[in-house]
Amino acid sequence: MAEILIFVALLALGYGFGRHAETRHYKSIIQREAALRDIPVVTTKFPPLDHPVNAELVTGSVVISVDYFKRFLAALRNLAGGRVTSYESLLDRARREAVLRMKQQTLNLGGHIIFNVKLETASIHKGRGSIGSVEVLAYGTALIHPH
Amino acid sequence: MDYQNPKIPEGINTSTSHPLKEFFLLTTGVLGVVAIAALLFALLAEQLAIYIPFETELKWAEKITEYKNRETNKQSEPNNVIDSKDTPMKHYLDELAAKISTAQALPPEMKITVHYQDSDVINAFATLGGHVFLFRGLLEELPNENAVAMVLAHEIAHIKHRHPIRSAGRGIIIGMALTMVSSALGNSMINQVLTNTGGLAVLKFSRDQEDEADQTALESLRKIYGHVFGASELFEIMQQAESTRLTPEFLSTHPLSQQRINAIHTFQSKHNIAEEIKLTPLPDGLFKVLTKQTTPE
Repeated sequence: MAEILIFVALLALGYGFGRHAETRHYKSIIQREAALRDIPVVTTKFPPLDHPVNAELVTGSVVISVDYFKRFLAALRNLAGGRVTSYESLLDRARREAVLRMKQQTLNLGGHIIFNVKLETASIHKGRGSIGSVEVLAYGTALIHPH
Repeated sequence: MDYQNPKIPEGINTSTSHPLKEFFLLTTGVLGVVAIAALLFALLAEQLAIYIPFETELKWAEKITEYKNRETNKQSEPNNVIDSKDTPMKHYLDELAAKISTAQALPPEMKITVHYQDSDVINAFATLGGHVFLFRGLLEELPNENAVAMVLAHEIAHIKHRHPIRSAGRGIIIGMALTMVSSALGNSMINQVLTNTGGLAVLKFSRDQEDEADQTALESLRKIYGHVFGASELFEIMQQAESTRLTPEFLSTHPLSQQRINAIHTFQSKHNIAEEIKLTPLPDGLFKVLTKQTTPE
């Protein structure tokens, strides 16, 4: 009986905190994306170099942890198959946050555009019972107009 | 060239449906399917368990007892099983069990082992391998041999009808299903929850099995004594005990229903055996050896 209560409490905690964090994070992401929209992120490797620019490597890295509720949902998905929607939003947040951090760095350097942008994902997880976190790294080449 | 990142609408890479909706769909779906499958298999196991030869059951029971003995030795608790000793009680119960076994026409390989436990617990039960456990607490409540014979005959009837192995079959299948789910979910918390809620520890007989055991016990009582008044007395004593103090454990393992008492009365009137009732008293000095043992000087 005690185990059931602990389990339900963990689920409720995971759901409560996870949901709260996610809603707040998305709000902030949408806001900052609007603010940094004038720094385009481009995947092409070859920028048009019609006038002299400085280039600099910019990176943005995020580590986000899964909550107990999301993990339970994903475990059930493991049996039934289909979209693991609980992880989809987690990774979506991580990707967008990583790009935003990269853009922020570019802004701090005085850059105006980022070329050759790549995203990498790594799961920070070592076997059963360890933390379930994901790292997303965004990196690219920021072009900065010389002063 | 002009580069732009226009605003992308939300909900392309993520799902817009509420996570709780998915939670309820998944839990009810997955757990429902597993539960139905487990129940089906459990039913099948219960039906097929009777085809396991009694010798095999005996071997399993031996292994279980060995394991349990090791466990109790670890805990270094005083072992109150004294059935290995040659007491008048042991003699008496063995003789009674032999009489009942003959009356119930048990197959020759089905050996009944009666274990007498020196404990205040008001209970008796039958388990795998033809083992019947009787507690002093229950025996002390019983006024005559007929009532003792009813308890013993009831437990032996469980073994005759292979109820322990059937229940074990059901329990093992359900346990396996639970283990499967918990390991598939890969969550130690769920593992604990499931193993604790669906534990295999106690063999529980169904109401039908209890009724079946009652009927067989009544038949054998009639064969031995010519009447079944011990049975009705047993249940009267149990009812009294229930109203005056804490419910004896015997009643939680053997739920006493009006239906059950009615069945006994029906049996009595059907066989019309109320002419001359001679209740057999318990032999003298049955508990004497025990009291000496339990109060060391």
